[in-house]
Amino acid sequence: MIRVQSVTRTYGATVAVDDISFHVGAGQIVGFVGPNGAGKSTLLKMLATFLRPTAGSVAVAGFDTVTDALQVRQRIGYLPGDTPLYRDMVVEDLVRFVGAAHGLLGGALEAAMARVIDMCDIAPVLSLRVRECSTGFRQRVGLSCALIHDPPVLLLDEPTHGFDPLQVMAFRDLLTRLKQDRAILFSTHIIADVEAVSDRVLIIHQGRLLGDGTLAELEQRTGAPGLENIFAQLVSAGAERRP
Amino acid sequence: MMAGIRLVARRELGAYFDSPIAYITAAVFLVLAGTSFMNSFFLQGVIDMTPFFETLPYLLIPFVPALTMRTWSEEHAQGTVELLLTLPLLPLQLVIGKYGAALLYFALILAGSLPIVGMLSWLGAPDLGLILSGYLGAFLLGALFLAFGQFLSSLTHNQIVAFALGALLACVLVFSGHPSVVEVIDGLAPTWQPGTVMADAISCLPHYEAFVGGLIGLDHLLYFLLLSAFFLWLTQVGLRRIQY
Repeated sequence: MIRVQSVTRTYGATVAVDDISFHVGAGQIVGFVGPNGAGKSTLLKMLATFLRPTAGSVAVAGFDTVTDALQVRQRIGYLPGDTPLYRDMVVEDLVRFVGAAHGLLGGALEAAMARVIDMCDIAPVLSLRVRECSTGFRQRVGLSCALIHDPPVLLLDEPTHGFDPLQVMAFRDLLTRLKQDRAILFSTHIIADVEAVSDRVLIIHQGRLLGDGTLAELEQRTGAPGLENIFAQLVSAGAERRP
Repeated sequence: MMAGIRLVARRELGAYFDSPIAYITAAVFLVLAGTSFMNSFFLQGVIDMTPFFETLPYLLIPFVPALTMRTWSEEHAQGTVELLLTLPLLPLQLVIGKYGAALLYFALILAGSLPIVGMLSWLGAPDLGLILSGYLGAFLLGALFLAFGQFLSSLTHNQIVAFALGALLACVLVFSGHPSVVEVIDGLAPTWQPGTVMADAISCLPHYEAFVGGLIGLDHLLYFLLLSAFFLWLTQVGLRRIQY
């Protein structure tokens, strides 16, 4: 469902993503871990067609993100970092707007609205403006926008940002329910999120992919117990290799 | 294509009518346009709307950039441009949708001056053809200002900068055709008459004044239509550039 091949992205002289390759199949949840500025968001932006790769290619559901951007956008649900939403819009209008942009009309839109309202539990804030919602609810509204068209690929940038512990548990449960026939790629700083729901982990640091595998595979490879130790070991080893 | 444009236009219109700034700007514009007309109406005592249309370009210089300054700069500042550009909509649909909403809003405000036509008709027999031509010119002038206002707004995250750039370009397009400015610049090099050349080449004023005078020429129509289309095209090119 997601195929990233030798992708590099630069901003002027800065290399944000450096020759990364991986794939995510249907029914998989892949957690994307890395410190701030590692290149996680840049990679997700490229998958979501917001940015073009400087080199390499990205394909989602068999469509190239550069040459078939519209096809890709129809098949992804994207929650950008910091959840940019129209602050002055009423929540219900905003989710409807995103649904309509995905071609949902009439009964199909109503059914999709009912589904995401229930799934993301946004009923209490439907009639509020986005700016009046708490951070956690804003995140859930963003998630509703990403899910309204029932996409086969989900790209979530820091999806649990602003959630309280109960909301985090509910989110993990939601991800597990959603993964049936979807490819889900999410980035996070929170190691526990990755350990709890991911089938596979990608570890990125300074734009380079340092680790790709299941938790057990990464533990075996590094000899370090737990994702936190694996992460620390791979990052320090990666830093040593850098000039 | 049209469904996407309508969707964006509807959202944008909602944003206009949601904001108190839009109402205040519209009210200030109509009060200024109305009072400046009434002033010349009472001084000249002629059943004619020409003074209203003659003042309009100068009022539009601050008014239209105030409408367009948030169009894209707010999207950039709030990060919602990322939401928009990852929806299955073409940049051209986004640009035309936003432009269409702004045009409709501008047309509604312009329609706010229709009571003047009613008053003139009640008092006498104004030349309705001339008034209609004037309104067409005013609409096309507003359309051009909205097009470059939107383009300039797409260049910056800062609404104030977008406003200043918009007002500056509007000033250049209007004042480069003002007789006093043309005369001064012509005086700098009388043989070459650079002021006249500039007025003919870039100013919107001679084209607009043709409409106000009742002359709907193809060249004047094309000036507004092509220049507006050019700025809209530039805006969508700019949006595509974000990806690089």
